[in-house]
Amino acid sequence: MKFALSSPPGRPLVRAMTLAGPAYAWLLLAVFLPLSVMLFYSFMSDVPTSGGNWSLTFQNYLTFFDEPLYRKLMVRSLGLSAQVTLICTVLGFPCAYMLAKVIRGRSREALFLLIILPFWSNGLVRIFSWNMVLRSGGVVDWVLNHLWPWPVDTDLMFSYPAIVVGLVHSYLPYAVLTAYLSLQAIDDSLIEAARSMGAGRLTILRRLILPLAMPGMLAGAVLTFVPVVGAFMEPRLLGGRKGTFIGTVIEDQFVAVFNWPLGAALSFTLLALVLAILFIGMRLSRRNDK
Amino acid sequence: MALIDKVVKRALTCVMAMAALASFAAHAEDVHVLNWKGYGTDEPWALKEFEARTGYHVVNDFFNSEQEMLTKLRTNPGAYDVVMVNSAFNQQAREQNLLQPIDVNGMPNVADLEPKMRHSHLLEIGGQNYGIPWVWGVTSFAVNDTKIHPVPDTIQALWDPAYKGHVGMRDDAIEAVQFAALATGQNINDIKNLDSVKSKLKALTGQLKTFWSSENDWNQYVASGVFYISTYWSGSAARARNKFNLPVTFVIPKEGAIGWLDSLSIPKGAHNVNGAKAFINYMIDPGFYTQWDSRVGAPVSANTKAVAALPAAAFNRAVLANPAVQSRIQFQEPITDDKRRAYLQLWQEIKAQAD
Amino acid sequence: MKQHNTAGPLELDSPTISTAPHTPSRRPWSVGAALGAIGYGYVVVVIGFLYLPILVMALMSANASPLYELPFHFTIHWYQALADDGVLKAAAFRSIEIALWTTLLSTILGVMASLAFFRYDFAGKRFLQAMLFPPMAIPWLITGTAMLIFFFAIGIGRGLHAILLGHVALALPYVIIVVGARLRTFSPELELAARSLGASGWQITWRVTLPAIAPGVVAGALFAFAVSFDQFVVSYFLSDPGETTLPVEIYSAIRKGFTPEINAISTIIIVVSMGTMLIVSRLYRFGGEQ
Repeated sequence: MKFALSSPPGRPLVRAMTLAGPAYAWLLLAVFLPLSVMLFYSFMSDVPTSGGNWSLTFQNYLTFFDEPLYRKLMVRSLGLSAQVTLICTVLGFPCAYMLAKVIRGRSREALFLLIILPFWSNGLVRIFSWNMVLRSGGVVDWVLNHLWPWPVDTDLMFSYPAIVVGLVHSYLPYAVLTAYLSLQAIDDSLIEAARSMGAGRLTILRRLILPLAMPGMLAGAVLTFVPVVGAFMEPRLLGGRKGTFIGTVIEDQFVAVFNWPLGAALSFTLLALVLAILFIGMRLSRRNDK
Repeated sequence: MALIDKVVKRALTCVMAMAALASFAAHAEDVHVLNWKGYGTDEPWALKEFEARTGYHVVNDFFNSEQEMLTKLRTNPGAYDVVMVNSAFNQQAREQNLLQPIDVNGMPNVADLEPKMRHSHLLEIGGQNYGIPWVWGVTSFAVNDTKIHPVPDTIQALWDPAYKGHVGMRDDAIEAVQFAALATGQNINDIKNLDSVKSKLKALTGQLKTFWSSENDWNQYVASGVFYISTYWSGSAARARNKFNLPVTFVIPKEGAIGWLDSLSIPKGAHNVNGAKAFINYMIDPGFYTQWDSRVGAPVSANTKAVAALPAAAFNRAVLANPAVQSRIQFQEPITDDKRRAYLQLWQEIKAQAD
Repeated sequence: MKQHNTAGPLELDSPTISTAPHTPSRRPWSVGAALGAIGYGYVVVVIGFLYLPILVMALMSANASPLYELPFHFTIHWYQALADDGVLKAAAFRSIEIALWTTLLSTILGVMASLAFFRYDFAGKRFLQAMLFPPMAIPWLITGTAMLIFFFAIGIGRGLHAILLGHVALALPYVIIVVGARLRTFSPELELAARSLGASGWQITWRVTLPAIAPGVVAGALFAFAVSFDQFVVSYFLSDPGETTLPVEIYSAIRKGFTPEINAISTIIIVVSMGTMLIVSRLYRFGGEQ
């Protein structure tokens, strides 16, 4: 999407680098260089320790194609992430719309704050609290037993749904807030104009609001999808024996065995897949723009 | 704006670096100890007593897995004076040049150590000590005796369909494989029939409710009725019973149990070797041990005098010191990296298929 | 369909034009009002969902059982224990301090970088944008280990400065993406118009662009704070023993003995944050309206 440069013509690269330089210099030192070391490790047979001998190899990457285990887990993780992202986006949008367009004044700010606040609770403690809510004898079980005439034993812990619940809970605020950012910038006069021209609610939603809110929704989706693919905390703590995903398996390479090369290779494969998906998604949405 | 930002960043780094240097210089007579959290070396009352006796101030750091311990040693040479290394890992640490031999002169309590452990082939190489045996224990299983009675005496209880959905275990590939080895009558350090191990483990994952990863997890799961029967460590089971009043009974079944020996070593490049030796000597001291076991709960000391000083009814003395029981325990030997990776992959495959 | 609204410069400053918010029509049960009511109800449900584990966490901080067993017995024992626990308190303050520095640095650097992407097209722009994803996609365990090795190798070592270095790097992608989403709803013609009126680059940024994207900047800052405050994996690797952050203390405590003291401090943090944010919102309306 090219638009007119709002600066004197000549050297956009220099100007851009002045602005973006510090951020990327920081990222270079703190993230890119260290990850380059990891990338290098991923091509080794063994991490060089005093006395070990190592050689360059592609084997760690080939393992992904040789062993069905890793492919299977990668697909499972991508699927989980897609589900969580979809749920967050769908659940978050109406909430964001209410905040941006319907609720006014002081209550809007209060609600805005309320939605951000869960970010400040410690993630681990939150997950343990979900344990108390979902397990047999926990809050959900208790409530259902009091509402339902027959005794019921609901135990939602250590299951795939529990993982989804925990992840949706952690990432929902992202979806709400980013959608809010775009929705709030929509000038109400546009909506008024559309209404005065006789457009129905559904049409306004579909053709005016959704497209304008798209940048925010996409940002929220990306901020959810990308981290969740490599998640290991929620799967382990909420999934129990069903909690094996690519994130936990990568963690094992560092925690249970000393196989950093394999762990690194799996991580970069993961990164490549995620980037590929984002790239394809971008292309598809570009086509829809035309 | 970018310039100001750079200056602020630089100033901040400088100030913090100086603070770090200052704090380091102030504590040259410290003993830096690396161990699991809450495992004997960081008991506040013990550290106070040690400092009063010797004048050395102890600074603790912790790890959550053996691999992490090795990583910390590798990336921080000279930062630690004492490190707790499970003896099955001692060989690996030694081969990676992370440990130094210990001169036991000036450590009187060493003479009282159980001779088999003192001269264990895991710790004593070419007449040199790379680790002082500290405590040993057993990994087996414990049952909630209000839910399961009579208490079983066979390891196959973990596979009993009556307890399906109420079984727990730790998410550790080596432990899992070794449990299955015991259940199929094999030597845990020399498993010949891996296929039977695989099918045993597949069946076991169907029994599980979830994995526990810390004592705290385990206690909570038993208290809330999630676990009726679960793998556990001997010392921790004693603690669950005495400190948390949970109705658990620890079982060493007829098929045997997995034994482990934890030892204290001195990393290469340690700054305070004298302090390290004094600390290790204190850790195997009967005075420290009896207090540790009675106040908190501990595994079995490698110091025979320390165990003899326990009250007669104490679990460590009454049960684990019993020779009939000891003969059923198979102690862990070191595992090569390749075998470890193979076991991990096997375990991950089985877990991934859990439905 | 253009992706930014075409309102002129004046309208953005004045109170929103639709001075007639959805006035219900003469009939009391119009569709609009019904939808509004459902919308309010929905927001309440979402907030309820977000706060369920937090309320449970707060409840358990006042429960006597150290193993989180019900039935509930009220006690302030854990709060008393917390008052004596110097380590946990010190860790909490350290976390807050680091999070504030992280927020400041990453917001400034991130907004600058965002502006660069918004204003200029240059070679390598796509690549730089793609490079925001590795810190988010690659499991923190890998990044943390890589940072540990690299910082050790070049002499930075570990400690608070290393943690700050890492946190800002992890927070930057969030700020850039969020502010970028808001910028996409901002009309570049505004900047052009201001320049044609003779304003300098700095003036344009400070007086035209930043106020319009203020909600995005604030949201980015809040995300940066949350990323830093809740970060435990990277902090775990880079912290000096004895000088850890709160999430690291909690993570280590979970291994040994997770007492409701953890709940107590988490509850206190939530309550204090709520109070702080209410005060801040009285002073500054970041809803974006004047």
